This record gives sequence, structure tokens and C-alpha cells, in this order.
Amino acid sequence: MKRLLLFLLALATVAVLAACTANEDAGQDPENDVEAEEPESTDGESEEEGTETETNEKVLRLNNGVEPTSLDPSIGFDAVSWDPLNNLMEGLTRLDQDSVAGPGVAEDWDLSEDGLTYTFYLDPVVAEDFVYAWKYMLDPDNASAAAFLAYFIEGGEAFNTGEGSAEDVAVTAVDDKTLEVVLEAPTGFFLDVLTNPAFFPVNHKVAEENPNWHAEADSFVANGPFMLESWDHDSEMVFVKNPEYWDADTVKLDKIHWAMVNDTNTQYQMFETGDLDTASIPPELSDQLIESDNVYIGDYGGLEFYRFNTTMEPFQNKKIRQAFSYALNRADIAEYIVKNGVEPAYGFVSPGFTTPDGRDFRDENGDLVSLDPELAKQLLAEGMEEEGYDELPEVVLSYSTSDVNKAVAETMQSMISDNLGVDVSLENQEWNVFAEAQQNLELQFSRSSFINDYSDPVNFLESFVTDSYMNRTGWSNAEYDELIANGKSETDEEQRYEYLYEAERMLAEEMIATPIRYYNTVVLEADGVEGILRHAVGYFDLKYADKN
Amino acid sequence: MLKYISKRFAVMLVTLWIIITLTFILMVSVPGSPFNSDQSSNETIKANLEAHYNLDAPYHIQYFNYLKSVATFDFGPSIKQPNQTVNDLLGRGFPISLELGIVTIVVAVISGIILGIIAALRHNGFIDYMAMGFAVLGISIPNFILATLLIQQLAVNLDILPPATWSSPAHMIMPVLALATGPMAIIARLTRSTMLEVLTQDYIKMARAKGLSPWKIVFKHALRNALMPVVTIMGTLLASILTGTFVIEQIFAIPGMGKYFVESINQRDYPVIMGTTVFYSAFLILMLFLVDIAYGLLDPRIKFHKKGGE
Repeated sequence: MKRLLLFLLALATVAVLAACTANEDAGQDPENDVEAEEPESTDGESEEEGTETETNEKVLRLNNGVEPTSLDPSIGFDAVSWDPLNNLMEGLTRLDQDSVAGPGVAEDWDLSEDGLTYTFYLDPVVAEDFVYAWKYMLDPDNASAAAFLAYFIEGGEAFNTGEGSAEDVAVTAVDDKTLEVVLEAPTGFFLDVLTNPAFFPVNHKVAEENPNWHAEADSFVANGPFMLESWDHDSEMVFVKNPEYWDADTVKLDKIHWAMVNDTNTQYQMFETGDLDTASIPPELSDQLIESDNVYIGDYGGLEFYRFNTTMEPFQNKKIRQAFSYALNRADIAEYIVKNGVEPAYGFVSPGFTTPDGRDFRDENGDLVSLDPELAKQLLAEGMEEEGYDELPEVVLSYSTSDVNKAVAETMQSMISDNLGVDVSLENQEWNVFAEAQQNLELQFSRSSFINDYSDPVNFLESFVTDSYMNRTGWSNAEYDELIANGKSETDEEQRYEYLYEAERMLAEEMIATPIRYYNTVVLEADGVEGILRHAVGYFDLKYADKN
Repeated sequence: MLKYISKRFAVMLVTLWIIITLTFILMVSVPGSPFNSDQSSNETIKANLEAHYNLDAPYHIQYFNYLKSVATFDFGPSIKQPNQTVNDLLGRGFPISLELGIVTIVVAVISGIILGIIAALRHNGFIDYMAMGFAVLGISIPNFILATLLIQQLAVNLDILPPATWSSPAHMIMPVLALATGPMAIIARLTRSTMLEVLTQDYIKMARAKGLSPWKIVFKHALRNALMPVVTIMGTLLASILTGTFVIEQIFAIPGMGKYFVESINQRDYPVIMGTTVFYSAFLILMLFLVDIAYGLLDPRIKFHKKGGE
């Protein structure tokens, strides 16, 4: 009987092993995989040895989280697409090490007296490729989510809304190496807008032959610091240095591996085993890791804030809105609730925007909101009197379902209760349902976030102009609309910033939305990794990155 | 038999149609849109996107389009990964999920049945308690906890296995362990309890009286009947494990199809929702059908034609 039992166990083992081996064959190319694995594991054991044995190849291992939405420049409108793409391609301008728009494909440029016409002098790429790419982006049939960025160009918006035509978009290739762009209005930050991946050139000959050129590594045409060597969808992308790149001497890395690991714990564990060179910090480990030496913390142009719905009671009243804002202790929310080194927000425009005289916009315009329970109570009483309320109408604070949002909302609830004596109730909804409800002005007091698309304060501020799609508060003010219009098109930069300061102060005074905290970038970097550019606004750049 | 099968297939098609219709109704009645995003946008952009994916068409047209896409097995491009069709996504993800699933099922079934038999034969003995204690543990520890613990121990601390991703057989060990433990425990408990019941029945006593060897009794007479409940759960188990699991695939960064079930709904990626639903339902219906066939093979008393049992 025992013999039989043993036999049975043996049988089971064989069956399991057989199943495993059968799958090994099913894996198609186990040999290649094993080969590919080996340098990784040596690398993992000891990084210095690893780089030496690899014939001095400098390989950086990064995590993109998920598969890029699309590497078609004007279609993949998100960081998971544009972070990699920013290293494969280059537009007319590129953000330099000081996050200022410097020469990219364009060696040089002129701006006409009236601030409307830019003439770019290109080096390697033909001007026609830009004309093709930009008109492709604006073509309503191609449904680019980023197309609004090109509304600065004359005729751009008309073409995108279907009222104009491609011919009327004012971008012309004067010759192979000269590109002329006419703007709707003078735009002081246009060169910065152009660093955005949506404005990358597309080789029109390739694209006309194969509209899906960007979908696979074989057909992908790169003009940036790196080329797309392989792309195993949903698993890995491999970039190699592009020897044809005009500034190839600056590029130090030979290869970049992009994993697609969408689990914070796993990617951190892979960082620990040496399978990744950078990682984000899992929330549970934040307190433990945030102080360590290999943590990079930088600005990230964006704001978490709460919108007041001015079409719903009691927030039609300015003083009641202000009262709620004065009841919030933003420093505590940032330090104890969100953690990860984030900064509390006392204004709308996040730090990192440089004014014409070289200072920071945030410092210049100062703190616009604060914690003041006494003033809060007083404003509430005044507001209630203005509206004739004996009792404040019920207030519901809404957020989209997530652990951090919930923690912040609960803290705000208790702050409002303590500092204002008002009990608000909480409500959370799945993100997409929430977004829809906010858009339709169905929420009273709801969470929002804003990430900058281009590096200018007006990017955030213009959200609140009358009937803007991004407004979502029901607020409308002609004076504010005019400030923003001037803040976009004024040619005297100092005067333009004056308009923007005033607009931001007005937003705080009217208290249409109350800022909570700024976003930031927190990354763990392995020893020897250096030179990765992470701009406050703009995409991740590995042109200057190195690994020793 | 043939008549039975063709009838079953007709019922399967109707079931599938009902599922598609219900999915469509649910899909359009849930608020939200694939084009909602935290990023800046405007009405024109949203309208262009809706027109691009025919989401501005009236519902009955959209419904008809979906039915057509199911009939032709062509679900069109994903909205959230516009360069890929739904067929691309499923065609790439399913083989990987299937590979992981088959190994998991084999491991779970074999080890579960063996554990169950041993426990039943050593009823109330030390081995029984050990095996069942192990099974309870297997059922109660969620697989994502087990997965994280495995990575921490075997990859980070001991450095004997790669932590995640999907490229060599070694990468398969931890996901299989994490996935197989739960089903294995369930199968072990089921096998044990039915085995205990079967072993007290008269025909087993009869077999003993005949002087058959205990192992022959177990494998030839008892196990066959004891497996019926196991076969019953196999249908759903196969369908759910072979089509990929969201959590395990995410933790181990396995490019299977499990994530599409969850992400497509969060992102309102309608073609992918429809594709995964149809795929999963068809697969599940097929598995249940196979289970019914397996009943007949295991138990000759079950007949497939209506009046045969009389």
C-alpha cells in the first residue's frame, strides 16, 4: 500500500513536470529568453560587476507601468505614451536642463515684430513633416485628444471644429528647411507649447504608405535621442541610442528597457532585486523611505483642489465659499494625510513657473488662501444672513473613489466640523461616474485635479473662463474673461504676468475653487543613475541620463 | 446524443444573445464615457472622438453594430489603445492566460485530489488534520497576499526566482503557486467529504467483501463517484482561471487578458467590454457543456436524451 502511495506521488510529480516542460516548448523561444535573462540576473546580484561584464554597455531599466496608449504623437495624450515618445522623437524645440525651451529640430528661429509669425530654421527633418503632422492632429476625422494645443495656430481651431479646412491652417513649409507658422494671437509661451509631443514631426512619406507606422517597432520612425529597437506589446519596449540624432554626442545611455509593471509593490520589489533602476514609493512605505538618500523629489506642475458649484445652494454665496476655504488646514493634509513630501497649496498656480524677471510666479503672487477659523465663522454668519438662512442647507462633499481621496475628504470633513461648526456629509463615486456628474454641475463641493499641459500659468487659470469645458463650477465673470484673454495675448511679458497675477487673485477672492496641495514627483533611483530630466511641466527626458 | 448536442448549441446561442443584449443595456446605462479624463479638453475634441468611434449614433444602431461585430468576430479597435483591435488584445493576452491557467489547473487538480484521498483514508488521523488544516489555510489566504509574500520571500530575500514579468519558465512558478493554492484547497475538501460518504456505501462494502485490494477499491470504485462534485465545479473554475485573473496578472506583470475585464469597464472601453464579455461567456458556456458531457462519462446513469431514463 505504501508502495502504491509512493507510486501515485511519483506519477503526480511526473505529470506536473510534464505539464511544465510542455509549456516550456509552448513558450516558443525559451532559449532567447534565457539568454536575455542572464545578464539581468548578474546585474541584479551586483550592479557594478554587471555593467562591467556587459562590455560597458550602459543599460537603464525603467518601468512605464502599462502599455503606451499610442506612440502616434497626437493620439497618445497621456504620460504613459508621451514619456517614452519624448525620448524617441523631437519637435522644433526641446526643454533643456533648465526646463527652458531650447533648440530641437529647429536650430534657430525668428519672430516677427507683431509677435504673430514664427520662422523656424530646421536641421535634419524636412519642414513638410511638421506641416503633415500638425494638420493630421487638427483633422477632426483623426480625433486627436491633444488637438486643442494647436488652436494657437491661425486656422487651427476652425479646422478642428469642422468649420475651416486644412489649407487654412497657417503652417507652411517655405522650403525643405524653413517652416513658417502664423499664430491666432501673440503667444509668449508658444516655443514651450512646441516641446509637447503632440507637435512632433511625422515622416509624411512613411505615414502615407503605412498609417499604422507607429504601432510596431519595425515601422517606427524615430528622430530623437533613441530609436525603438523592439516593442513586445504589454510586456517591454527596448530603446537604443540613435546615432543619427543631431546631438548624439550628448547621449550617454546605450539602451533603455521599459518594463510594464502596473503594481506599486511589485515594481518596488523589482527595484530591490535590481531588475529596475527607478521605482515609485509604495504608499505603505512612504514614511520609511521618503527620507532615504536615493529619493528624488521634484516639482510637478499640477494642483489638487475642490470646486464649489456656484449654481447650487449654499455656494452661490461668496462669503460661504470663503468660509469653507478658511476652515481648511492644508499643511496638515499635505504632511499627515497625503504625505510623500507634497507641499500644501496656498495658491492655484503651482511653484516652478518663472516670471519674466526670473522669479517664481508663486512667490511673486504670494499666499492667497489660509487657515483662519475665526474669520471662517464670521464669514459664514455674514453669508447666511445675506441669504436669509436660519440653517445652512445640507452640504455634500464628493470625491472619486480612492484611498487617498477618501482620507483627504474625511480630514476635510472633520476640519470643517471643528473650525466652522458645519457637518458635511461625504459621498464617493467611481471615477468616470464622478467626472460626468461634476461636468454636469450635479455636485456641490467636489474634488478635482489639474495637470499642466504647457509651462505657463495661464494654462490653469483659463479653465475658469465663461463656459469653458474645464470650468465645472457654473461661474462666469466678464472681468476675469478679459484678464485671461489679455494674459494670453499681451506681447509685453511683464504686463502679461500682471494680468495673470490679478486673475489668480480674483479667483481666490471669488473663491470658485479652493486649493489643497500641489503635486510632486517622488522617485527612487538606484546608485549610479543620474541626469534624468523630470520637468515640472513637460515629459521625462533621458537625453542627458547616465548610469555608472 | 447528437440531437442533445445540437439542442444544447441552440440554447447556447440564445444564452449568448441574451448576455450580449444585457451587457449592451448595462453598458449604455452606466454614466461616464471613454473620453472623460483629468486632462484638458473641450467640446469639439469630445465630439470628434465620439464621431470617430460612432458613439454619437442612436442606441439601436450601436446595438446592431455590436451584434454584427459578434457575428463576424471582429470587435474593431479598442478606444483606449487605438492602434490595437480588440482581437489583437485578446489574441495576444489569451494564450498567455491559457498557458498559466492550464498549468495552474493541472497542479491544483492533481494535488487537490491526492490530498483529499489521503485525508479521507486517514480519516480523523494526523494526516487528515494536517491536510485539512492546509486546505483551510489555502482557502482563507487570498491569492494576492500569497503572491506578494512569495515575491518578498523567494525573489527579494532569497533571490532564487525572478520577481515578476513573463519571459521564462522560472517566471511561471510563483504565479502558479499563488493561483493554484485556493482551487487546490477547495478540491481537496470536496474530494475528502464525498470520498468519506462514498466509502460507507454498500457497494464499497461489497467490494471489500469480495476481497479487492484497498487501492483498487479507492481508484476503481470510490474515486469515480467521489469526483462528481469536483467535476461540477470544474466548469466555472476552468473558465475563470483559463481566461486570466486580474489581480495575479497585475502583481506578476503577466501580459495576459485578465486586466481587460476590469480596466475596460473602468475606462468605458465599449468594444473591449463587449469583446471580453462575449469571449468569457462563450468560453464558460462551452466549459459547462463539457462538464455535462463529462458527467455522462463518469456516471452511466445520466442519460442525454429525454425519455431514456424511464
